[in-house]
Amino acid sequence: MSEAYIVGAAMIPMGKHRESSYSGLAIPAVLNALRSANITPKDVQGVVCGHAFGGMLTGQRIVKEIGIGGVPVMNVDNACSGGATALHLAVKEIAAGRHDVMLVIGVDKLTQFGGGTLPLVAEDPEVQQGMVMPALYAMRARRFLHERDATTADLAGVSVKARRHGVKNPYAQFRSEVTVDEVLASRFIAEPLTLMQCCPTGDGAAAVVVVSEAGRKKLGLPAVRVAASILHSGSATAGFRNMLRPEITYHSARDAYEAAGIGPQDVDVVELHDAFTIAELVYYEALGLCAPGEAAGFLRAGKSTYGGDVVVNPSGGLLSKGHPVGASGVAQAVELYWQLTGQAGARQVEGARVALAHVTGGGIAGLDHGACTVHLLQAVQ
Amino acid sequence: MPSDPAVAPTSGAAFGEDALPFRDLQAAPSAQFEIVDGAVLLKGSLCRSSGSKAFPARRVCLDTGATDMEPILIGPRGSLYSFSTVHVSSARPTPYSIGYVDFENGVRVLAQVDVPAGATLACDSPVELRAEGDRWFVVPVDGKGLGQ
Repeated sequence: MSEAYIVGAAMIPMGKHRESSYSGLAIPAVLNALRSANITPKDVQGVVCGHAFGGMLTGQRIVKEIGIGGVPVMNVDNACSGGATALHLAVKEIAAGRHDVMLVIGVDKLTQFGGGTLPLVAEDPEVQQGMVMPALYAMRARRFLHERDATTADLAGVSVKARRHGVKNPYAQFRSEVTVDEVLASRFIAEPLTLMQCCPTGDGAAAVVVVSEAGRKKLGLPAVRVAASILHSGSATAGFRNMLRPEITYHSARDAYEAAGIGPQDVDVVELHDAFTIAELVYYEALGLCAPGEAAGFLRAGKSTYGGDVVVNPSGGLLSKGHPVGASGVAQAVELYWQLTGQAGARQVEGARVALAHVTGGGIAGLDHGACTVHLLQAVQ
Repeated sequence: MPSDPAVAPTSGAAFGEDALPFRDLQAAPSAQFEIVDGAVLLKGSLCRSSGSKAFPARRVCLDTGATDMEPILIGPRGSLYSFSTVHVSSARPTPYSIGYVDFENGVRVLAQVDVPAGATLACDSPVELRAEGDRWFVVPVDGKGLGQ
C-alpha cells in the first residue's frame, strides 16, 4: 500500500473556447502539469480521463497527441464528479502499487451545446417531467427559504463572495465583483435562482500528476499528500427526501474525515461544488464546516472567506470559473495543489496546510445526486 | 422464441420471460393515471415482499430487487414539498412549473404544477391531481377537502 501524492498540476483558463477540440483544450493543461512535475510523457504509466460529453476515447484522443501510448488509458463519466472520480481511480492505482506515475485529466466542452441548461438523460422519468439541474437546486433553495431564517439576499451572498474571490484568479471566467442587488435583479433561470446564482456554461481542462511514495522521493518536488479519496453513489428512494440534508455529501465527508484522521476544524481551504448558490449553503453543513441550520449565518459572518474560519472556494468556485462538468473536479485539485504549495498568487490562503475538495453531480430520479467525491489533501514538507 | 420458464428456467441453454428486456419506454403520460369517481389517481407499484411503494409503476422493487410488484393507485391529494418555475430548460419549452409532491402513502412524485392566475404556491401546501386529455398535473387547492 503506497500513499498517493500530487506533484504537478495545471489547467487552462476557463471560458468559452469554441475553436478548441477536446484535445485542444486538454493538451496545454497536460503539458504544463507534466512540466510542473518535472516529468516527460514517457514517464506516465497510466492515464485516467474524466469527462461527461467528450464522446468515445476522449483520453486517448488527448494523450496520443503528445507521445503517450501503450499504457492503460481509462475514460470515466460520473457527471459533475467525473474529473474527481478520475483522480480517485488514479489514487487507487497508486495505492494498489500497480503504478508509480499516473496522469489525471478532466475536460469538457459545454459550448458544443450552444448554451442553456445541461442536457440530461431523456429516458429519466423526472427529466421527462421537466427536471433540469437549476430546477433541482431551485427546489432546494425554495425549501431553504421556507425552513430557515434566511432570505434571497443570503443566497445572493454566495455569488457575491464567489465573484469577489474570482477577481484574483486569472483562470476564472468571471473576474468582476457583483452586488447582492445585481445578483437578485438578474433574470430568473429557475425561481428563486437568478442567472448570477447559476454557474456559467463554459469549456475547460485540468490535469494533475499523481505519484507513489517512491515516485515522490525520486522527484523531490513540493507535494500534496492525498489523505483521503472517497467516492460514493447516491441511494435511491421513491419517497420523502430532505433536500437540505444531501446524504451523499454527508456520508462522503464523514468517510473522508475518518479515513484521514482529521476533522472539519482542521481544514484551511475548501473547494466545494457551488454550481448554484444554494448548493454552497447546504454543503457548508454537509461538510461539517458549520453546524446544521447555521449556514446562512456562517456566510453572513464572513467565516467562509479570507480572515474567517476556512476559505471556501478561493478560486471563485464554479460560479466564477464556470463548470465544464468533467473538468471541474480536477480543476479543484489543481487549485488546492497550488494553495497547499504556496503557488496561488494573489489569492493564496496564508498558511494553508489542509484542504478539502468536494464535487457531487448528476440529476437522476430518486437520488439526491448520482455521484459524490470528497478528497482531503495535506501539504508535505 | 422464449422457452416456457416453467419447463426450462433461464440458463445458458435457454431463456424464459424473465430474461427479456423491460419495455419501459412504452408508457405514454396517459398510461400513468386513471380516473376513479372523478378523482385523478397515479398508477404506481407496491412490492408485496418489502412493502416499498413507487411511482412510476415498476417491475422491480427499488429497495430489494424483488419482482413481486403489484399495482396501486396514488392520490389524488398530496402536499407540495418544494417547487420552481423554470425559465431556461433543455427538457421542455419554458416557462413551466414543477414540484415535488408528497402523497399520504409516502410516495414522492415530481409533478408538473399548473398555477391558476392570481394563485401562489407555498411549501407544504395541499395540491391535487388533475388531468387534461392525456396529461396529468397538480393544482393548488384549499386545505378543506376534495375539489375546489
